[in-house]
Formats: sequence, structure tokens, C-alpha cells
Amino acid sequence: MRVMNKPRSLQNRMLATVLGLVLLIWLTICAAIWFDARHELDELLDAHLAQAAALLVMRQQQGGELEHHDSTDAASLHRYAPKVAFQVFHEGRLSLRSSNAPAAPMLGLRDVGRHAGFHSLDLDGQRWRVFASRGAEHDVQVFVGEQLDARADILMGVLRGALWPMLLGLPLLALLLVWAIRRGLAPLRELGHSLRQRSPLSLQPVTLSDAPAELAPPLQALNVLFERIATLLEAERRFTADAAHELRTPIAAIRTQAQVALGETDDLLRRHALEATLQGCDRATRLVEQMLTLARLEADQRPMTARVELATLARRVLAELAPQALAREQDLSLTAPEGCHVAGNDTLLAVLLRNLVDNALRYSPAGARIEVRLSAQGEGVRLQVADSGPGLAEADLARLGERFFRVLGTGAAGSGLGWSIVRRIASAHGARLHCASSTGLGGLEVSVDLPQAVASPEASRVGASSR
Amino acid sequence: MRILLAEDDALLGDGLRAGLRQLGFQVDWVRDGLAAEREVRAEPYAAAVLDLGLPLKDGLEVLAAVRRSGISLPVLVLTARDAVPDRIRGLDLGADDYVLKPVDLHELGARLRALVRRAHGQPQELLRAQDVVLDPAARTVRQAGAAVVLSTREFDLLQVFMLSAGRVLAREQIEQQLYSWGQEVESNAVEVHVHHLRRKLGSGLISTVRGVGYVLQRERPL
Repeated sequence: MRVMNKPRSLQNRMLATVLGLVLLIWLTICAAIWFDARHELDELLDAHLAQAAALLVMRQQQGGELEHHDSTDAASLHRYAPKVAFQVFHEGRLSLRSSNAPAAPMLGLRDVGRHAGFHSLDLDGQRWRVFASRGAEHDVQVFVGEQLDARADILMGVLRGALWPMLLGLPLLALLLVWAIRRGLAPLRELGHSLRQRSPLSLQPVTLSDAPAELAPPLQALNVLFERIATLLEAERRFTADAAHELRTPIAAIRTQAQVALGETDDLLRRHALEATLQGCDRATRLVEQMLTLARLEADQRPMTARVELATLARRVLAELAPQALAREQDLSLTAPEGCHVAGNDTLLAVLLRNLVDNALRYSPAGARIEVRLSAQGEGVRLQVADSGPGLAEADLARLGERFFRVLGTGAAGSGLGWSIVRRIASAHGARLHCASSTGLGGLEVSVDLPQAVASPEASRVGASSR
Repeated sequence: MRILLAEDDALLGDGLRAGLRQLGFQVDWVRDGLAAEREVRAEPYAAAVLDLGLPLKDGLEVLAAVRRSGISLPVLVLTARDAVPDRIRGLDLGADDYVLKPVDLHELGARLRALVRRAHGQPQELLRAQDVVLDPAARTVRQAGAAVVLSTREFDLLQVFMLSAGRVLAREQIEQQLYSWGQEVESNAVEVHVHHLRRKLGSGLISTVRGVGYVLQRERPL
């Protein structure tokens, strides 16, 4: 088995993604609140500073009888008050200041003319926001200042309102998410559980109660796979069952007939049993030959590129089989124009044709007609074997070519290997095999479409195993 | 004993029929599943030898159908299918024995005799009634320890009676169990054979139930 990292949990991944996104959105919102609040706060407080400065300027010009004690005490009235300070200068002299304001002007007095308005500066190691103003006659200078960290405090106070619920809500959200995701992934866990519970031999389709739409495609794919495996296993099981039948039955027949001959006292009956024994041996021989042919074909790598004249080959094969046809008064005929050349191996093509004709002779009744036809078909040559026999049912047509498959009850002694041999040779020649009902004769018609002969000897090799 | 043989292979079927006949069975041979089912339903066979790969209807389907209709005839499945699940299925569907091809004819005969014996509730190998002992395997009959020579038919008839000892058998029933297809049955054949049996074994063994048939009594009537 391949060494694998610990698989990543879908649940953890979703949880991390959702929580990360929530955190990101929340931080963005916080930042937006921060910037917005700071801006508004700055405007508001700046306006207050400017207004306070204007008031102080007005007071100074109207006589300046300010009661120092009241004003200086103002610093202790509110917790924000120590963060706010002001200075009033009249004709260059400090006329009024808050208790926490330094005696020296916050800004050079000369500069006020040039720099009336807002300034950010350092005083006693603190950042201050200072509004500088002056009277209409330039004799009064007023500075109203505020510590910037006071603004930061206010800002934090505003944000705290937005932060706390989120900080408390985040773990709660995580818990709820875990619950929701687990709930959402329940069908996946159920699928995993039901797959674990299965017997390794079970090929029943997997069913989930109430499977979500997302699981339908993998579930369907899984079930299609199970079905395919089941079909393969069934074909394999059928093959071994058919093989067992085909291999055991001739031996069983030979054994039984031999035993009958041994125990028989009547000469005629004993002779019958001995003849049957011989027939059984012939059948077993044929079966062995066919199995060997098939086995050799599997391993055969001879080039299939010799120039084969099919008409001559067909005449030779049919001549060999004619006695078998005559014995059952079957009408075997060949229609072959000269010059039907194909690229191939003549020995194997002869085996192919012999098997096809032999099948037709065996499975057609006495007196039947069997036609072998050769014809040019596009670039290649079409070889057809048709008979007036009973033909094949659709289901049997589909199973043709399975090794050892044989239509039961035909009364003929076949092994079911002939078709496998035909198919193997056809594929080695790149030929297309087609079975249908014969329109002319009513029985089975097999067509083999062979590609045209290639003249050059360097023609491509076609391996026998290229099925 | 009349046996139904269902086997589609011509050579093997022919051999089994000849071989079982040599062993003293009357054999009817059918080559497809439908015929097998039809015959089992129609005739009182002592047992059936059933191949599984039968055309028209698979042997297992035949077996299942026969058992569904409540026919308890002993069935010996003779097949090339050796996979364990096949055997289990065969036995579960109601086969009494499951034998793989190829089989020795004598073994097949012995298994059939055992099946028939068990089907008649006879656990022993030998059939006994009064002082008569019948050995189905050796096809011999002894009375009070002395061998009695019987013809093939007489032996078959005595076996039919001894297997159904104590039960009244009608003449047609006996005929059906004695003769396979194509065998000419004379109208009074059973009476003639019963007459011969009485002559060889004494008249106390087989009684006539007038208008009904015959009965073999297990114990000598008092």
C-alpha cells in the first residue's frame, strides 16, 4: 500500500475555512468602524476645540475678567478634563490657562498669525491636537489643546462595543458550525459506515436512506462499478461451470460406456457400447485439439502479413469438410471470385473458416444448406458462412464466443471452443466479426470482414494477442 | 426399480441407460428439463438421476418445481458442476444426493438403491418380510436361508412388494413401477408373475385384495 499522509478531515477544513472567513469579515468591519468613528470623532472634537478657542478669544476681547479659580478647577470636573488644556495670551503675556496647561505657549506666538488652525505636536512627551486662534487685532492668542490618546480612548470605547460580542460570539459560532457541519456530513459518514460493514464478497448496490444530491454521482458510480464486477464474476463463474461440464462430460461418457461394455454379455450391446466409447474418445480428442489451438493462439506472435488468396484456401477447407456434409446430405456450396487477397496467416485463416463451416454443419439438421461466400467489401474482403439451420436466439448470440459456451439441446457434440478460436483469429487479423440471421437461408449467418491484402512485405505486424 | 434419467449428452445418456439396465433398473431417458419435469409428475418412478445443464429448463429449476409441487421422489443430481455453492444449492433445493461426473456405474447403482431404500423407510441394506430376505444389490432372494431363483421380472415385482410391505398395490401401480417405456405389457402380466412368486415362495406371502390389488404382509398371518 502507498504511504499516505493522514487524510485531511473535510469537517476541519470546512470549519477552518468558515471561521477564517468570518474572522476576516469581522476584522474588515472593525477596521471600517475604526476609520469611520475616528473620522467622525476627529471632526466632532476638532469642532469643539475650534469653538472653545473662539469662545476664549471672545472672552479675552470683552475684558478678560475670567475667574481663574473656576476655570482652572475645570480640569478635575470630568475624567476627560485633564486631557484638555487651553492657554490665552494677551499682548504676548499669558492671561489665562487651564491648570494642566504649561506656562509657555504651545506654539510660537509669532507663528499663530501664519499658522492659525489645527496642529499636531508633542508637549511633555504627549501627542496633542492643538487649535490655535487669535483675536481680530492680533493681540490675543488662544491655544486649545487636547491629548490625542484621549481620542484613542474614546475610539477604543466605541470599538469595544463592537468587539466584545464578536469575541464572545466566535467560539459560540465555532461550536454551532461544528454541529452544523457534522450534521451536513452525516450521509457521508453513513456511506463510510455502510461500506465498512459490507462483506468483501457482497456486490449488492449501496443504498443510503435519504442520500443528498451531492452524494448521488459517487454513489451511482460506485454501484455501476459493483455491477460491472458482478458481471465479470458471473462470466468467470459461468466459464468455469461450462468448462467443467465440457471437460467432464466426454470423460464421464467414455467411462460409463467402457463400464457398460465390460459388464455386457450380449455381443451386439457390447459392440454398441465399445463404439460409443470410441466416439467419446474422438470427442475428447477434438476438445483437446481445440483447447491446444486456442492456447497456441494466445501465445502466437507470428506476423499476419503474408499474402493469402482466400478463394483457394476456401476451396481446400471445404473439400476437407465435404465428406462430413455428404454424410448428412447437407448442401455445402462456395461462391468465390478469384483474386480475393488478404494480409494474414493462411494456416490460421484456414482454422477460422474450418471452425465456421464445421459449426454450421454440426448445428444444422440433415439436408440443410450451407453457403460460403467471398466478396469484395470496400478495401477488404468479406467472408460469409450462412446456413439454413435453426439459427440462434438473441441471448445466445450475445454469449457466442464465451469459451465453452454452447447452445444446449442442439444434439450436436461441440465443445463451445470453436467460437473462441474464430474470434481470436479474426481479431489477430484485424477483422470484424458479425453474426446475424441469414436473410436468404433463415439460419445463422456469420460475416468476417478482412482488411485488404497489403502488397509490401514490410507491412505492419499484427500480434495475435492484440485483442 | 424404475428410474428416470435426465441427461442431454447423447453418449453419456446412452451409456448410463445401458449401464443402469445391466444393474437391474428399468430406465426411462429424457434429454431436456421440460420432459424431465413432465415425466416425474406423470409416472411413479422409484428415483430420478438429474443432470443440471439441461436444455429448455435447467436441472435445478426442474428440481425446485418438482419439490414445490410436493413430490418427494428421491433425486440424485449427476453433474459436472463441482463448485461448492452449486452443490449446496442443489442439496438445498431438494436433491437427495449430489454426484460429480464421471461416476462409477456400480456406485451410481448403489446410491440409487440407498436412496430408494431410505425413501421407503428401510434403513437396512436387505429387505425382509416373513422368512424372505431380498438383497437389492446382489439381486438375490433367500427364503429360510435357502436361495430362491427368480426371473428378472419376478425379482423386480417382489422388490416392489417388499418396499411397500403392508400396503395394498393396484395392478396399474405395479405395472407402472415395473415397466419402462416401449416395453410390451401383457394385460395379465402382473397376475402371472404373482402366481409364479406364490408358487416359489408360498402362498402366505402375497395376498389378493379382491377388486383392489395385492398386498405383501410383513408378518405371517396368524
